[in-house]
Amino acid sequence: MRRAVGSVPLLLMLFFIGHAKETRYSPPGKPKLTSCRSPEKETFTCWWEPGSDGGLPTTYALYYRKENSDAVYECPDYHTAGENSCFFNKNDTSIWVNYNITVVATNALGSNFSDPVDVDVVYIVQPHTPENVTVTVMEDKDGPFLRVSWEPPRKADTRSGWITLIYELRVKLEGEEEWEEHRAGQQKMFNIFSLRSGGMYLVQVRCKPDHGFWSEWSSTTYIKVPDYFPRETSVWILIAVFSAFIFFILTWILNLKSNSVKHCLLPPVPGPKIKGFDKQLLKNGRSEEVFSALVVPGFPPTTSSDCEDLLVEYLEVYTPEEQELILEEGKDLQEGCLKSKGSPSDSDSGRGSCDSHTLLMEKCGEGEGKEEKHQERAQKGKRQQKHQTGWEEGDVSHTREDVLSPDMSEGRVKTWPSVFSPLPQYSSRPLDHQGSLETARQLCLSDSLFPPPSTSSHLSYNAKEGLALGSGQQEFYLGKKQTHPSNPQSQPRWHLQAHSDFNISSMDRKQAASGLQLPGFRSTEYVEVQRVNQEDMVILQPLFSSSCQRDGHLQIGQGEDYSKVKGVDSGNMLLLQREVEVKREEEDGDRYSCDIQDRVTESCYTTSTAASSQVTGKPTSCAGTAMPVQEEMVLAANGYVDAATMLL
Amino acid sequence: MAHRGSQATTLYLTALYMLVSCTAVPVNDLLDRASQRSDKLHSLSTSLTHELDSHFPPIGRMIMPRPSMCHTSSLQTPTDKEQALRVSESDLLSLARSLLQAWVDPLLLLSSSANSLPHPAHNSIYRKIQELQEYSKSLGDGLDILSGKMGPSSQYISLLPFRGSNDIGQDKTSRLVNFQFLLSCFRRDSHKIDSFLKVLRCRAAKMRPEMC
Repeated sequence: MRRAVGSVPLLLMLFFIGHAKETRYSPPGKPKLTSCRSPEKETFTCWWEPGSDGGLPTTYALYYRKENSDAVYECPDYHTAGENSCFFNKNDTSIWVNYNITVVATNALGSNFSDPVDVDVVYIVQPHTPENVTVTVMEDKDGPFLRVSWEPPRKADTRSGWITLIYELRVKLEGEEEWEEHRAGQQKMFNIFSLRSGGMYLVQVRCKPDHGFWSEWSSTTYIKVPDYFPRETSVWILIAVFSAFIFFILTWILNLKSNSVKHCLLPPVPGPKIKGFDKQLLKNGRSEEVFSALVVPGFPPTTSSDCEDLLVEYLEVYTPEEQELILEEGKDLQEGCLKSKGSPSDSDSGRGSCDSHTLLMEKCGEGEGKEEKHQERAQKGKRQQKHQTGWEEGDVSHTREDVLSPDMSEGRVKTWPSVFSPLPQYSSRPLDHQGSLETARQLCLSDSLFPPPSTSSHLSYNAKEGLALGSGQQEFYLGKKQTHPSNPQSQPRWHLQAHSDFNISSMDRKQAASGLQLPGFRSTEYVEVQRVNQEDMVILQPLFSSSCQRDGHLQIGQGEDYSKVKGVDSGNMLLLQREVEVKREEEDGDRYSCDIQDRVTESCYTTSTAASSQVTGKPTSCAGTAMPVQEEMVLAANGYVDAATMLL
Repeated sequence: MAHRGSQATTLYLTALYMLVSCTAVPVNDLLDRASQRSDKLHSLSTSLTHELDSHFPPIGRMIMPRPSMCHTSSLQTPTDKEQALRVSESDLLSLARSLLQAWVDPLLLLSSSANSLPHPAHNSIYRKIQELQEYSKSLGDGLDILSGKMGPSSQYISLLPFRGSNDIGQDKTSRLVNFQFLLSCFRRDSHKIDSFLKVLRCRAAKMRPEMC
């Protein structure tokens, strides 16, 4: 064919030779050995590439020489392996022997030798592709997987160990570009996991001798993975269902315990606990109304002076066994009230300290020691007072309760009964120590005359019999004596002011029920000597003005009004003068009770002055009670219990 | 005398029996290990020759001695598969051991002259030759143990003295050429060793055909 083809140009050339100057024939070009390969280390084949043929038919020949001999042999087989090839069969193949191979191209004009190539068969091993590649889908607990198995190329003798092959396979999904390669070593089987459900996979295998070249990839094997439910997804679904279940249960529980949860997470904000504070008003946004609602009539004391409150002491009542009446004048009512057990040597305390020069010293120690008892007895006394008030007008019951309540609730609060209280609440009934004397006296006690440190008057409170101005009179008087010189200007008139914190507190109508508030003010109460019992007790009754009373309790000395001290007899007894003119007193009381509010303030401020002010019943309303029910001391003519006068 | 001889025989048999029964490492495992080592050995030598060939002067190829000039060419080794498969195990082992033994000295020479080799990669060549020596040593030790288990005929080692001079040449080209020639000889011999051991391995693993 080539010759036929080549002959045409040859003829043409020959035709033109006569006409042409020269022909284009040339010796063949240099052939080139491209490669030699042995598939099983037993035979091998060499291929060459022919050069230009020079325009003439060219023949190629391969010659080889083995390393040991110089004999040149020609290729035994040019055809088995195709064109331009030379096939060396087993007989012609020696291993560990260098072959020196040369290809010669020959044409009519010449020949051309190729470059010699040294070939050692063992180094040019390239097996055929593995055969019988089978891929199967197998099931596992984790899911399906591919099992690829193959066989070595037919001619490779691996069984005897003559050739050792290592394999490699590659997999990819249909449509993908990247292959996933796996080295399989010398084994002839391989597993592929993590398959996509329902995917179509392509598998190829190739092999290589231990020291040689890789074979070609085998033909593609297609395998389809069946659809399956991945196990991982099922686990996630299980987890999701479980979580949803738990979530529902939690929601249900939360719903049930919503209240407690609310309390836990959103603790209720404490609202204002101001008495009289109306939240609704606040919400409505009318601050004026709200604050006006807070205003307690009577607090702060606007009508009475504060100084007197501050100055006024409270009545510290002891309940000694001796049934003595100790009147104490403290400086600061609040302090005295609040510190239930102050230092006995504290002269400033509301309690009459034992160090004070005033009366009833010997009773001090006992009294202090018997504070506890005193309190109990105060309670009892108050109860008794209740009975005693039976024949008195005005109900004191509620006040008694008020009186009682602080005793019980506040142990520290000295239960100073409103011995001398202008309020209808009466806590003590001094007994007329004369016994037969049953006069209602109003004792208005105020210590405004006395400088606080030096004044202390003790009013001992007899739980059983009420207030008693007993044998302490002498001290009482003494106290007055002592204090008297200190206040030269002051009228020999002193006021016994009995304050009781709880009374004060009870003055606040709104808080009458609790009666627990410590008073911010003191109320001066006028006490009326009700009667004097057999045991030399002066029973005092608080008086108040009817007109200024709120609840309309009118406690006017019914019947006889003993508010005037006539004198002191030899027996150290306080003689009270009976007031005949009840009405006048009433009127006075009426008249003065309200007016005196103002005057009291005056008098409070002018403690040591104004006899007139002193003359006028000095109501102990300096305590600043909002209650207008302060009973004023009747006029001096009516007579206070004025020690000075008595002394005189 | 006969009594002593019988005693010696008894002792010998006992020792042999113990040796045979003492299968600390089975033969096929030993062969497997040896095959792996020889495989590594040949791979190293192949990479060495390629590395050296990268900067080889073309003229050097012209004056390269023929492979038949290798000092181990006198050893008769099978030249094709049928011949190789006809060789006994002991002979195969003996051949392997002889070849290995023949290269102890030349490797010393190569390692000593590698540093001064006029080649840009002479450091890496030097390191690889060091490795060659290590592998060769360990393989030799393993084959000695193997030969102890495979019979007396495997003990025989053919002496293949290296008659090459102590230096590989004077000028740069001749040094390179000599170096390359030695390496090529070693490459072939290591391939022979590897082939023989793998044939042996396949023969010993009759129970496990997957080894082959």
